Amino acid sequence: MKRVAMLLALLLLAASARAEPLTAAKSVSMRQAVDDITLAAANHDMVLVKVQPIDSALVKRGFEDPHVRILFIASETAVRWAEAADPRLLNLLPLRLTLIQRDGRVTAMTDDFEPWLREFPQGEARLLLKAWQAELKAMLDDFVGQ
Amino acid sequence: MTHYIRQLFFLLALFWLALASARAAAEAEPMILTATIPGVGMEQAVAALDRAVVSHNYTFVRQQAIDSRLVPYAQEVRSVRIYYFCNFAKMDRALRIDPRAAQMLPCRITLIETPSGVDLMAVNPAWVSLGMGNPLLHAECLELKADYLAILEEATL
Repeated sequence: MKRVAMLLALLLLAASARAEPLTAAKSVSMRQAVDDITLAAANHDMVLVKVQPIDSALVKRGFEDPHVRILFIASETAVRWAEAADPRLLNLLPLRLTLIQRDGRVTAMTDDFEPWLREFPQGEARLLLKAWQAELKAMLDDFVGQ
Repeated sequence: MTHYIRQLFFLLALFWLALASARAAAEAEPMILTATIPGVGMEQAVAALDRAVVSHNYTFVRQQAIDSRLVPYAQEVRSVRIYYFCNFAKMDRALRIDPRAAQMLPCRITLIETPSGVDLMAVNPAWVSLGMGNPLLHAECLELKADYLAILEEATL
């Protein structure tokens, strides 16, 4: 009976499991991580559009430092393709990379594209999402490799 | 033997219920929250958002063209803008619960000017959090979604 219960629990877990966002981590300071991401973005024809220092914004207002910073990157091509494919994709642009600093390591994390891919099971929008996902994966590899 | 079969049926029923409720929740949350402000231009729509955001205890962060920093300023698209805003206490709370909340931060509404007015759209934070499997964060995101809806509604008044 226990086996059956475990099997059902596993099935339920598998049914509710979702893909995680892409991540990459390395031992580096937050400042260096921002520089490395900027360089990795440039290597993939992307531009760092904005650094959102939510860590310092929160500290300035008396909150605890979450050691989280958000970077926005994009390319003009990405914007034009999204406009043409499906304007809802504009909500993903500029693409977001979240930097989380823990124990001397910085983890760079993309948004999770899997729910978006489920909403766009075919067509140009799906191809575009896949292309962004692949580009971000390559960028994160580049970030780790530096 | 009969006892085991009963237990098996009970577990199967539980499994089915859990699966059905997870699916129902996912289907119940739309991906995008939308509203339209008819008969106005971009500047008026941004001004309406300014008022709505402040009246719901959020702070304006910045607004920019969708292609800001990607093309020279003079060539930026005027018809698509991004409007960012934030409530720092809520941001602090969400990040304490789960750093993946950063995927919804800062709050954002995309404005698209059309011949008949301005369309507003925002990614539904509750739709995003459903995929994260963190019930505490999802509860926060349901509140955030309610705030988005209230802001969108007020902006259209």
